[in-house]
Amino acid sequence: MTVTEHYEYTDYPQAIEDYFERGFTDGLPIVPPTPEAVEAMLTAGGFSGDEVLGEVPTRDVIVTAEKAAVNAVMAGCRPDYFPVVAAAVRAQLHRMANAHSTTATLAGSAHAVIINGPVRAEIDVCSGQACFGPGFRANATIGRAVRLVIRNVENSVPGAIDRATFSWPLRYSFCFGENEEASDWEPLHVQRGFAREESVVTVQSVMDFVQALEFDPDPEAILDCIAAIARQRGMFFDEWCGTERSLVVVVGAEHQRRLIDAGLSKQQVQEKLWPRLAAPGTGRHDQAVTAAGPENVLLVAAGGPGIACSWILLPHLSNPISELVTRGAA
Amino acid sequence: MAITTLDPRSTRAATATRWSRATRPVSLEGQILGLVCNGVGDCEIMFDRLGEVLTERYGLAGVVKVVKPSVAVPPEPDQWLRVTDRATVAVTGFGGCGSCSTRSLRDALELEAIGIPAVVVVHAALIAAVNALNQFLGGGDQAIVRFGYPHDPTAHWTKEESADIAEMIAEAVRDQLVRVPANAGVRTELAAS
Repeated sequence: MTVTEHYEYTDYPQAIEDYFERGFTDGLPIVPPTPEAVEAMLTAGGFSGDEVLGEVPTRDVIVTAEKAAVNAVMAGCRPDYFPVVAAAVRAQLHRMANAHSTTATLAGSAHAVIINGPVRAEIDVCSGQACFGPGFRANATIGRAVRLVIRNVENSVPGAIDRATFSWPLRYSFCFGENEEASDWEPLHVQRGFAREESVVTVQSVMDFVQALEFDPDPEAILDCIAAIARQRGMFFDEWCGTERSLVVVVGAEHQRRLIDAGLSKQQVQEKLWPRLAAPGTGRHDQAVTAAGPENVLLVAAGGPGIACSWILLPHLSNPISELVTRGAA
Repeated sequence: MAITTLDPRSTRAATATRWSRATRPVSLEGQILGLVCNGVGDCEIMFDRLGEVLTERYGLAGVVKVVKPSVAVPPEPDQWLRVTDRATVAVTGFGGCGSCSTRSLRDALELEAIGIPAVVVVHAALIAAVNALNQFLGGGDQAIVRFGYPHDPTAHWTKEESADIAEMIAEAVRDQLVRVPANAGVRTELAAS
């Protein structure tokens, strides 16, 4: 253990209240991070406390496994979630994830944590009905752990370095899995070069999160709708993002069913969507969504049956990063 | 039952830079101005005019400008070399958004640390962010010039407004870049208009 500062309390409620007072929370109560709980987190993931997960160079901040584990305990994670948390933190701190920008911006971007592979079943990540919302411990606490790392370790505190004009609810937690079992669509992580049996976390900053609602069963109408909704917002990117600039489209179960019934693979959907997205804009409310190519329209199957909709996650000056879920070096 | 808990916050990296303030020239006459522009909004127009005004008023010998490839990232290595090879004083900015303002502060600190006097230009709406990062980094007495409303923080300005801002801040920028007598009362900021 390398943590330099400890706090002493008479009981758990006192610790919880004091963490509020010290500004260590997201406004919700935390689980007090005792040395034993933090050690259990590290041990479960095979991490040594001083293993570096990444850094924010603009702030001279390094994020160690120990600090990530402290915040994972606070978020309510189980120890067996920690390799996923660590992978998400590594992804969020990748140079092209642009951590300083996405966590200090006026735009208040959130971070989506998308989980693929066998770990979803091992730790009960929800990828189906209600997967964006409350009620699922892995989703809620892994997403929250990433946010607490951003706040406490990366030093993104509202009113100081975090300058979000409004911020938004996705900043409490935003984590879900891909419903790989819903079809034979190639999972996101396989499309991005990993083996199907590997577990992978993909992190994408989210500046806009918009719903594309289309009840018309015609696949062309569905794709037109997704493109039209995305183009109302446009895509905030710059030259620096290069050839990996991407957006995420979470394809809902009803839309996926209709696309599959029409014989469309994921790749074919990407190829049909991209020209619709990237076509030159015609005005303020019809802007090109300049993903670099069809493969940069990241399709993720998720959600439950019912409403025929999909969700579009538009980024903030950063690229999606996928990291293998691994045990630490310890 | 007594319990012990651990601190969730970061500590500064062991490799963190120790900042220092560069020695100022006695005047801007003959100096080469580096402009490290982040391209936010219309700030490049303002910076271009600022370089012209400082040249006209105070006799700069040249201006070297780089526009970073993204608003809140460091200059690319070749851009950094272009500035540090030639510039003898520098201005960074514009500090008009959350991440770009703080990154511009960092750019100024890094220039100061290698001996190039630098000032970061910041909108009043973002001054708290700059101060927060400066305090976190231990940046000390970093030179800042700020101005406020009615100018838009995110630099959505007309061409005329951009030029007016350059004219307005030029003297304060000069004051921050040159050595002045101890009692001269250097302005660290401009009042909102």
